[in-house]
Amino acid sequence: MTLTLTHYLVLAALLFCLGVYGAITRKNAIGILMALELVFNAVNLTLVAAGRFRPQSDGVGQLFALFVIAAAAAESVLGLAIILAIYRRRVVVNADEMDLMKN
Amino acid sequence: MAEMILFYALAALLLLSAGLVVTVRNIFHAALYLALALFAVAALYVMLGAYFLAAMQVLIYIGAVVVLAIFVINLTRTVTGAPVTLTRRWVIPAALVSALTASLIIVALLKSAGPAGAAPDGAADPAVQGSAAANAAAQGTAAALGRHLLGDFVLPFELVSVLLLSALIAAIVIVGKDREEEK
Amino acid sequence: MADPVVLALIVPLCPLAAFALTWLLARGRPAAGAALSLAAIAVSFVLSAVLLWGQVQAPSGIQADIPWMPAGRIVISMGILLNPLSALMLVIVTGVSLLVQIYSLGYMKGDRGFARFFSYLSLFSFSMLTLVLADNFILLYMAWELVGLCSYLLIGFWYEKPEAARAAKKAFVVTRVGDLGFLVGILVLSLLAGTFDFAGVARFVGAGSVPQGQVTLIVLLLFCGAVGKSGQFPLHVWLPDAMEGPTPVSALIHSATMVAAGVFMVARLYGIFQASADALRVVAGLGAFTAVFAAAIALAQDDIKRILAYSTISQLGYMMLALGVGGYGSGLFHLTTHAAFKTLLFLGAGSVIHAVGTNDIRHMGGLGRRMPVTAVTFGVAVLAIAGIFPLSGFWSKDGILEAVRAGGHPVLYAVALGTVFITAVYMSRLFFLVFSGARRGDAPPHESPPVMTVPLLILAVLAAGLGLLGSPWLGKGIHELLDPAASRPALDIGLLLLSNGLAAAGILLSFVLFGRTTAAHAAPGRRAGTLYSLLANKFYIDELYLLLIRGLFFTVTAAVAWFDRHIVDGTVNLVGGASKRGGALLRRTLVGKVQGYALIVTCGVLAALAILLAGSLGLLGPGLFGPGGTGQ
Repeated sequence: MTLTLTHYLVLAALLFCLGVYGAITRKNAIGILMALELVFNAVNLTLVAAGRFRPQSDGVGQLFALFVIAAAAAESVLGLAIILAIYRRRVVVNADEMDLMKN
Repeated sequence: MAEMILFYALAALLLLSAGLVVTVRNIFHAALYLALALFAVAALYVMLGAYFLAAMQVLIYIGAVVVLAIFVINLTRTVTGAPVTLTRRWVIPAALVSALTASLIIVALLKSAGPAGAAPDGAADPAVQGSAAANAAAQGTAAALGRHLLGDFVLPFELVSVLLLSALIAAIVIVGKDREEEK
Repeated sequence: MADPVVLALIVPLCPLAAFALTWLLARGRPAAGAALSLAAIAVSFVLSAVLLWGQVQAPSGIQADIPWMPAGRIVISMGILLNPLSALMLVIVTGVSLLVQIYSLGYMKGDRGFARFFSYLSLFSFSMLTLVLADNFILLYMAWELVGLCSYLLIGFWYEKPEAARAAKKAFVVTRVGDLGFLVGILVLSLLAGTFDFAGVARFVGAGSVPQGQVTLIVLLLFCGAVGKSGQFPLHVWLPDAMEGPTPVSALIHSATMVAAGVFMVARLYGIFQASADALRVVAGLGAFTAVFAAAIALAQDDIKRILAYSTISQLGYMMLALGVGGYGSGLFHLTTHAAFKTLLFLGAGSVIHAVGTNDIRHMGGLGRRMPVTAVTFGVAVLAIAGIFPLSGFWSKDGILEAVRAGGHPVLYAVALGTVFITAVYMSRLFFLVFSGARRGDAPPHESPPVMTVPLLILAVLAAGLGLLGSPWLGKGIHELLDPAASRPALDIGLLLLSNGLAAAGILLSFVLFGRTTAAHAAPGRRAGTLYSLLANKFYIDELYLLLIRGLFFTVTAAVAWFDRHIVDGTVNLVGGASKRGGALLRRTLVGKVQGYALIVTCGVLAALAILLAGSLGLLGPGLFGPGGTGQ
């Protein structure tokens, strides 16, 4: 059996779902962010694999993945900054207790 | 053949460490496992011929994002250092939902794939594969990507730089503001 | 002579006009109301007499109708059927009405609702006359119900009295039960026959296309109406209570006219009834039973009007018996004579009540000396109802007895004879306790004014002399008029002696027991054996009915009410409650925990994926996201 696109896509799907699970389950806000990183990586994997198995895509898959990395980095930075800011105000890092949006 | 073994090994590593990221209690350990997972992804990129991207993955993701996360973890550790417990409430529904989603996606993937798991587009053809591999390798270099970035995709390139700049400024503002108020 | 159809139409319309005019204009003016009413009924009476005379000379059935309402394949028409039977009834109704209205001038004088009373009387006259003239089932039923309404209005005339209101309600409800059977019978029969008018239906029944069992059933259903209206057992319970109404009402409606409507109906539809021998047997048997049953109860009653009420029930039973055994002419003859002497009895009773202020005969006595006219006329009526020769009652009653015997019904014959005896006993008991013996009350009585006594006299003459119409000495009598094919019963000396002997024995017994009464003698409880109390309490039938209604009816209604409250309302509340609870449940997701939101979003994605996948696999039917259309 040869390695096909499907293999990569299945792997990416599993990674994606792990990330979603973590995003929902993790109590620590930083943990949530890390889970989201997994999600981004799954997406990137999909993009690159798809680009690889479609020769006419001319490297666009990887390019797209590059942009995703940039955006993800920006997002992580901001997310962490916010967590830090909140921590400073209320010494809280648990997502459970960050419920100002309640009702 | 070797390819397959490598793939499965990397896949196992990836999934295992990703699983640990989302489950371990100690957040610091989770960060380390995240780094490991990202390394695995980088290796996969190399397998797929995306060399430049693999390098970027290591540099940016692991070198910057994970490190930053570790910084923040340290900064937000509670004084007593007691490990936090995971929420039990959402676990079962979340697990259920993600498992189902994964299954559905996989089912869909398998259904749309041709016989012997080949992707549509005839990528199973070894001849095509071979040339595709060479092609991807050629496309994965920095030069090729650079040509795209400054050619067809100039606009997204510039926009991303604007995005990064604004993220930078915003981060400073959010974090810096507090410090000024404390004074 | 003018067109009989026109005359026949004017007869009911006059009282109707009087009713309308009185209601609209003269409700507060007693004199005007009474005048209008009297004038109208007088005109109707005269015209009725003319019509009857016309029928006597040339008996014929004249029918005239106009189409009124097409209903599917049937066209309902409104029309009149004028034949000897209806002409006779017209005269009876208008005649009695006229006399009662004259009497009421005196009896109801000073009453607050004087004009209202007369308007109701006019309305009743209109309804009854229409009933008698109707040529189809729909008009008959409409008039039937209208008559029932008038009865309700008149029984409950003094509506501030709770007993009166209750009695009116009882009358209406009980007759309703009978009317229900009547209506069902009408509908079934008419729909089978394809028409509502009597002639058409009679033709249909005569054609014999309906199986015998069904014919019997239909006829019995029709008979239900008569059972209710004419107070036959078991729907007799309303008549005694109806005595709560003013006495003129009892005289007019509950002795001579409305209650006779049942008998009239059977006679009118006799052709249909004759199609089922079984039904006729039921009619006769029920009539005989009712006759003796009511007579027995009358023996133990102490209210003058109630005694007369039970007497009416009993005599109506006689009429039904006659019709049941085929004595068409005899039954109707008895209806005629009964109208005369029963009205006389009631008006006389009214005279007495007016004088002494009570209905209880235990507190009367010795009134004969002070109220001679009343006493004498009352006595004539008593003899008539007992069937003493040569008064009218004898002729009609013996006619019935003859018909029963000739028809070969030994049991019914025995019952009828027994009832003759009992009738004589209770009627003469009434007479003796009221008019003879020592005075047991307080107020000194006085004779009633002429406006009340003159009608009494007229009726007494009629009660005595009407017998001529059925006697062998008249060339063409009432029997020939009504039924040309039948032969008139000859004067049977043997029967005369038998019936008169029984009657005389009854009167004698009464005289011995009640003739010279003292206060103590008349008080009950002295001879209060179980039989007596059974009779005095009307065999507890009312109590039985109440029990039945409470048990059955209220159980059912309680069950239905429970169902409505818990299940119907419950369902409605459930829907509302479910919405409320569902909303509260969903609100729990808005807790402010972002991860909760994330979970929900993921669920949504899952759902969307599932639908897409199912669609592409063809699970959702062809076309929805197409089988294999979207690919992955």
